[in-house]
Amino acid sequence: MALDVPAALSRQIDEIITHYPPEQKPAPALWLLHLLQEQYGSLGQEQVEWTAARLGIPAIDVWGLVSFYPMFTEKPRGKYHLKVCRTLSCEMGGCQGVLQAIQKHLGIGPEQTTPDGKFTLSTFECLADCGNGPVMMVNDEHFANLTPEKTTALLDHIAQSGLEEQPLPPVQPAHPAEKRLVMAKLSQPGYDGSLASYQAAGGYQALRKAVGMPPEAIVQEVIDSKLRGRGGAGFPTGTKWKFIDKKSGKPIYLVCNCDESEPGTFKDRVLIHRDPHLLLEGIAITCFALGAKVGYIYIRGEFPKAVAIVQKAIDEARAANLLGKNILGVEGFDCEIYLHRGAGAYICGEETGLIESLEGKRAYPRIKPPFPAISGLFNCPTVVNNVETLCNIPQIITNGGAWFAGMGVPGSSGTRLVCVSGAVVKPGYFEFEMGKLTLRQLIFDICGGLREGRTLKGVIPGGSSMPILTPEQLDVTLDFDAIQKAGSMAGSGGIIVLDDTTQIIDAALNIAKFYAHESCGQCTPCREGTLWMEKMLHRIKDGQGRPEDVDLLWDVADNIEAKTICALGTAAAWPVKAFTTKYKAELAQVIASGEGKH
Amino acid sequence: MAEGTVKLTIDGNEVEVPRGTNVVEAAKKAGVEIPHYCYHPKLPIAGNCRMCLVSLGMPRMTPERKPEIGPDGKPVIGFMPAPQIACNTMAAEGMVVQTSTPAIVKARQGVMEFLLINHPLDCPICDQAGECRLQEFAVDYGKGESRFVEHKVHKPKQVELNAKITLDNERCILCSRCERFMRHVAGQDCLGFVQRGSHTELTCYPGQEPRTNYDLNIVDICPVGALTSTDFRFRQRAWFLKETKSVCPNCATGCNTVVWTREGEVLRQTPRDNEAVNQCWMCDYGRLNYKFVNDPRRLQQPLVGGRPADWQAALSKAVQVLQGAQGALAAVGSARAATEELFLFGKLARLLGADLIDCVPRQGEADHLLLNADRNPNSRGAELTGVAADPLGSRLSAIAQGVREGRIKGLLVLGEDLGKCGIGPELLAKLEALVVIDLLPNGTTEKAGVVLPGASFAEKRGSFVNAKGRIQRFNPAIPPVGEARPEWQILAALLRSLDPAQDYSTLEGVFAGMAQEIPALAGLSLGRIGDQGVELTTAAAAAG
Repeated sequence: MALDVPAALSRQIDEIITHYPPEQKPAPALWLLHLLQEQYGSLGQEQVEWTAARLGIPAIDVWGLVSFYPMFTEKPRGKYHLKVCRTLSCEMGGCQGVLQAIQKHLGIGPEQTTPDGKFTLSTFECLADCGNGPVMMVNDEHFANLTPEKTTALLDHIAQSGLEEQPLPPVQPAHPAEKRLVMAKLSQPGYDGSLASYQAAGGYQALRKAVGMPPEAIVQEVIDSKLRGRGGAGFPTGTKWKFIDKKSGKPIYLVCNCDESEPGTFKDRVLIHRDPHLLLEGIAITCFALGAKVGYIYIRGEFPKAVAIVQKAIDEARAANLLGKNILGVEGFDCEIYLHRGAGAYICGEETGLIESLEGKRAYPRIKPPFPAISGLFNCPTVVNNVETLCNIPQIITNGGAWFAGMGVPGSSGTRLVCVSGAVVKPGYFEFEMGKLTLRQLIFDICGGLREGRTLKGVIPGGSSMPILTPEQLDVTLDFDAIQKAGSMAGSGGIIVLDDTTQIIDAALNIAKFYAHESCGQCTPCREGTLWMEKMLHRIKDGQGRPEDVDLLWDVADNIEAKTICALGTAAAWPVKAFTTKYKAELAQVIASGEGKH
Repeated sequence: MAEGTVKLTIDGNEVEVPRGTNVVEAAKKAGVEIPHYCYHPKLPIAGNCRMCLVSLGMPRMTPERKPEIGPDGKPVIGFMPAPQIACNTMAAEGMVVQTSTPAIVKARQGVMEFLLINHPLDCPICDQAGECRLQEFAVDYGKGESRFVEHKVHKPKQVELNAKITLDNERCILCSRCERFMRHVAGQDCLGFVQRGSHTELTCYPGQEPRTNYDLNIVDICPVGALTSTDFRFRQRAWFLKETKSVCPNCATGCNTVVWTREGEVLRQTPRDNEAVNQCWMCDYGRLNYKFVNDPRRLQQPLVGGRPADWQAALSKAVQVLQGAQGALAAVGSARAATEELFLFGKLARLLGADLIDCVPRQGEADHLLLNADRNPNSRGAELTGVAADPLGSRLSAIAQGVREGRIKGLLVLGEDLGKCGIGPELLAKLEALVVIDLLPNGTTEKAGVVLPGASFAEKRGSFVNAKGRIQRFNPAIPPVGEARPEWQILAALLRSLDPAQDYSTLEGVFAGMAQEIPALAGLSLGRIGDQGVELTTAAAAAG
């Protein structure tokens, strides 16, 4: 090991390695690479070989990680890494203008570094702050609501005075139509997310109640609550818990999916930064119900502050006997929660892709069967739940499953957080009782409608993977079944509004680029098809489209849909199919008008 | 339904398979081909190529867990809405598989199209042409036209993965067979993927290339021309090659092989399936050790007194010389010779009164997989035919001693250079009679009064008995070079001259003679050995 790693860093690495079973050698790799990159600026051969030797894994596997996750770099970057989001809502908000301003101001293009070594520019995919776009991260700091002028001023300021720590944005005040239950505590004035704050607001009472219940009773409450997963798939949570194999003799794991990366979605960000104890309590109760002794929270790499915030909360909870060994004095109820950082891959939001990443590998989703409930993390029975889903658990225990099921509409119980971004006057995140509001009401009554003189083009109801709904389809209620009946899905709750200033070709191309970039590359249809769709849309945008391209796009999407290992293929196919079906005329127009150009 | 089997229907054909069989293998049994790239029966399942998509249905169950019966009296089959990969699906009782519904046909055409859109148009220069699954399945399952008009993704080409293997990343379909083989079979974790999405590349870490004795198997299992043998690169088109079933002569494992030839030249060797011996692999050492067959230094004519002679003259001289040393003769054979040859060799040696007969041992290090420490392919054959001491080679020093002391005046040598067993040129010079049958010139042939050119394993028929007692046959892939002859013919001619009653005019006749005299071979013939060989203990038990 040619690298001379400082003693403190080495000790930190040694400690992190204890968070994973010792025989799972690659598992700590992403942590090591983050820390080494912070120390040395890049992950070249020395860092790769050091990591391989330290963990006892092949160097090719480490190189495979460095080259798979965009947050890692083999080559040195500038002192300040500018990461500008280029995904749909930010593009509609003007990120191209911000990018051009940066390029003009600094004289560098994407993946280039200024000669003085100060700035490197990158475009990044959705940074989960779509309501405040355009957004940019500079190293670990997050800047939102940018304009070209604000951006150049910011760059000058950083160049002169360095990068200052940015405070968390204030919590968005509740709209009268909201029913904030999950967000109840963090909306209270003066709430700071600390253990003291959380307990003063009644926190950890649910855990106290839970440890006095048989685990099966807890599972039954969640089944009775009819809670459906809040990550995107909407799978009944209690049912998922029931699948867990408790007889295998292997340890059971709970994994919290905080890889929020579905374009248009920015709700888990709020929960994890502002109310970490709510999540920890939800995890602790769930671990008790499942018989899991270890929970991992997979936090996307672009939420660096969440790591410190949640780790602090974990330390507070352990000190108060709310985590760790014999929790609340209950003999044998042990629960350790460890944090695991991602490094820039949307596919880590797919539960088995996440599991592979937790195991320290390239995030290649697994073929199923076997399913995680039987063989998941480290080939042990595993439940993967979304942040918001887990944040619902404490109140379900406190008030009972029936109480939760009594809210909402049949098929969609309780409340859920939705995010609105794009062409509305007042974007943001909201918590509504499910099914009590229509899309039309949300957009025009809650979010201030469209800007002056603009007309609605369409609404994507659940993250960019979901088929767009046309203006005629706006009277659908915000619940799983209604949106499914309308031919789309409630998905992650990321609602993106398009007005007439957005050309469908641009929206389609923006989304296609996202999926081509995020495809892990494992299976044929997605690997080849997503880039093909991007290239076709690009060619159409450049004025070289052909009339047959619209049907060809649909057919390529159709050949990807449901033929792949995981849902990313389908997620890439659905938007293309929806755009080429519902906006066929507009696309044909673009093609026709471009024909003269070549 | 027999114990441990399940019955399922594939494209209307009912088939019964052992529990745990996947649908690709079950379909094979039913006579249905399910095309696939990444699946390999000896490797962990990857499921990434998506070529083996099929429509799967299971009998619908009533709440009482009984099959729901439809109006036609048959179980109602509930089909899964999406196509499923056959390789990762275990055959189940009552399962119905459809491999050619319109949806599946379209799905496969889609996968083929996706595989080809970034694939380089390399067929005219790609070694894989003619044995390429992309070509074959494109014809069988593709659409026949490309709709791709964009620019292809470019990746490194002509990469030296190691000295034996050339890698072309553009041709690679990322099936991961090579990666899985190196990790799970060869035992070196050196291959992996870098980059992401459509830009993913297979590679190894600099300085950590594959360096096992099994690297070249990844060339066999690569379905396309991404991994090719550097030794074979650009040498010949696959469709011009003649395939001959053979057995590797480089150690006592006896991996089953195919010898590929054209116009009298051996161009490459590949493994042949034999579950009992080598599954579907062979080691690089054996695979690449064929060049001696077409070595220009091969002995192509008999030599008498160091000068070329015709066969009649050479054989007469050999008989004369051997008879002259009768009673004071020893014989050194080779455990690389065929069993039939060793049988005749023993007969000849004993007829000439030789009581010191042995073969030359050849030992190396065994590896974790196939390579046996015994580098002779037929030590067991030598033991069975009584031409080997116990242990093999332990009599050689006595032979050397005999020559040194002048008690042994003549040597009959089959296929070995005696310099390797302590009988060098100075000792050979003392002999009155030295008759040698061999392939290539060496220190022993130089001193021989008569040299009779023999044939390599690729130029004749015969059998070897491997370390596990399995007798396997090999076949001639090319005719003997020059005027060389198969050793059994040479030995039969010498034997016939000395004793006309011992007249073996066919190889089958030799084997029949062997089978009569050696209990372990009773009831066998080259025909009965077949292409997969026969375990001798079983055969003897069956015959006896």
